[in-house]
Amino acid sequence: MCGRIIPVTLDQLRLPREEITRTARARVSEGYKRRMRHADFLVTLSWVSVAIVIALFLAAGTFDFKTLTSATTSAGMLAGLIGTDLVLVMLVLAARVPVIDRTFGHDKAMQAHRRIAKPAFYLILAHAVLLLIGYGMSTGLNPIAEIPAMWTLSSWMPFAFIGLGLLVVVVVTSFVAVRRKFPYEVWHVIHLLSYFAVLAAAPHQLSVSLLFTNGSPQRVYWFALYVIVALLLATYRFAVPVVRSIRHGLRVSRIVDVAPGVVSIEMSGRRLRELQATGGQFFVWRFWSGKTWWHAHPLSLSAAPTASTVRITVRVLGAGSAALAKVRPGTGVSIEGPYGIFTPMARTSPRAVFVAAGIGITPIRAMLEHSDLAPGEATVIVRHTGVQDPYLWQELRELCASKGAPVFLIDGPRPRTTPSWQSADAVDRGYTIASYVPKLFGADLYVCGPGPWADLVIKDALQHGVKQHQVHVERFDW
Amino acid sequence: MRVRSFFVAAAASGAVVLIGWELGAQHATPMIASSSPADPSTQAASPASPSPSAVPPPTASASAGGTAPASSGGTFAGAVVQHPYGTVQVTVTIAGGKLTDAKVQLTESDGHSQRIDDYAAPILRSSVLSAQSAKVNSVSGATYTSDAYLQSLQSALDKAHFAG
Repeated sequence: MCGRIIPVTLDQLRLPREEITRTARARVSEGYKRRMRHADFLVTLSWVSVAIVIALFLAAGTFDFKTLTSATTSAGMLAGLIGTDLVLVMLVLAARVPVIDRTFGHDKAMQAHRRIAKPAFYLILAHAVLLLIGYGMSTGLNPIAEIPAMWTLSSWMPFAFIGLGLLVVVVVTSFVAVRRKFPYEVWHVIHLLSYFAVLAAAPHQLSVSLLFTNGSPQRVYWFALYVIVALLLATYRFAVPVVRSIRHGLRVSRIVDVAPGVVSIEMSGRRLRELQATGGQFFVWRFWSGKTWWHAHPLSLSAAPTASTVRITVRVLGAGSAALAKVRPGTGVSIEGPYGIFTPMARTSPRAVFVAAGIGITPIRAMLEHSDLAPGEATVIVRHTGVQDPYLWQELRELCASKGAPVFLIDGPRPRTTPSWQSADAVDRGYTIASYVPKLFGADLYVCGPGPWADLVIKDALQHGVKQHQVHVERFDW
Repeated sequence: MRVRSFFVAAAASGAVVLIGWELGAQHATPMIASSSPADPSTQAASPASPSPSAVPPPTASASAGGTAPASSGGTFAGAVVQHPYGTVQVTVTIAGGKLTDAKVQLTESDGHSQRIDDYAAPILRSSVLSAQSAKVNSVSGATYTSDAYLQSLQSALDKAHFAG
């Protein structure tokens, strides 16, 4: 059987649209507005942090651009200051600060982290090069000969050079081409060196530069900046996960085969409501058994969490996740999270369309279960190519029936010629996403599946009335 | 990034940088006046283009030596001139109507400035000795030190009533 499109809950389709009440609309838009206010605030804060750095530099008045030498030196100092500020912004973006995660989502925050990386790196390289040239010119040395002189300028300068070296290593290993050559864990450990890079470079800023004489506002500001960033990292990156892992004491309670190569791992723990995890969010899980402890897995919940249980559903693909299927009940589990705004919280509209493929069903299933969607507010579309039923299919159907959400299954092979997120059959019939969701205009779109497939869904949806800010996507190939 | 975020962020950042610039401008004016040769008149006319070879006019503190000895010879200490990175005091030796030596006492606020001074001082010394005056070019990369050096030197020459 190729290409069937089944409205599973046909009877639900005729639900009165008035169910979408005024209050639901107001609640959703209020949440969205608050999130956007937070977004404005956070974006402004990070820009202003750069502006303050420039302002403090200008306010000190020790710079001048009158001669080539002093211009080079001043530009070098400014480049280093802005570059360092951007690195600190990057650290904060990666620190799992709750307000950032709730506003942008962890993936968007990391996207911004990557986007800032290049300018930050180039500015810091420029800082080193320009100061070698500038200081060299002022003492009649060429930039290379200036290096040893620089090294001895202050006892903190060797650390600054080490910091720069570490930064180069961190950045080079993060270039896409280089990064692929390493297992994720190796790359990640190398990436953590950036903390040491910042730590090694910070003192030379306060000891060498004249901007930072004792008691100057510049020194106070930068010192505060370093302390705040360090506290954010220590709290949200380290303390909170450790405390939560201990407090909730998660252990594997059961492993259920869902399909060949797919298992659900059920875990139990204490006081899990306190985590305030929402269906659609993910945790970074670490299973403390001999073969799996070194590998942390970012995986979405596949069911709404209860007070004492959580569940994930894993497709065992890589070397690390293959071992997951063999984890024994009783194995301790440590967690980081919950993260992500692939949740009802991100809604901008009372109507929502959920599109999932493969293992991407899991967060969508959990989110549906957790959501307070009224009947008729949601439509679910599942894309599937295999012979068997999609993962968790039975659960999903029952859930959709109880929520009054029509669910469509698009199965069969993909078209050979034109790329499409649908099956060949559906494409031949001229279907678009609007065929499944007549009132697509103004609805939220939640997509979860492989990256290229998700992009095709989004493209289709944008052409049929979904706005860019209403697209919520979780790619599981990152 | 959303349009609203962009404008809010840009406006706030622009304001912050402007404030910094203003503070810097207030800050920089007295510093230049005390350390560089730009006198009030040239500053008002064209503050952006102080010519590096301009003759530093003696300041009030520099012309402290009221009762001047004869210009026949001797050793004369110039004023201690402060600049953002330290102080400079030049002591000249006049013999037979000629400027025969210029010794300098330097203090610096940091290691980098010390290196600049170590580099610049001999160059300044040899150029003033050959020019027999303070009308020499400042050393590139050591503008503050040079200006302070030449100002201190001029005050010493004034004390000696030396007109090279």
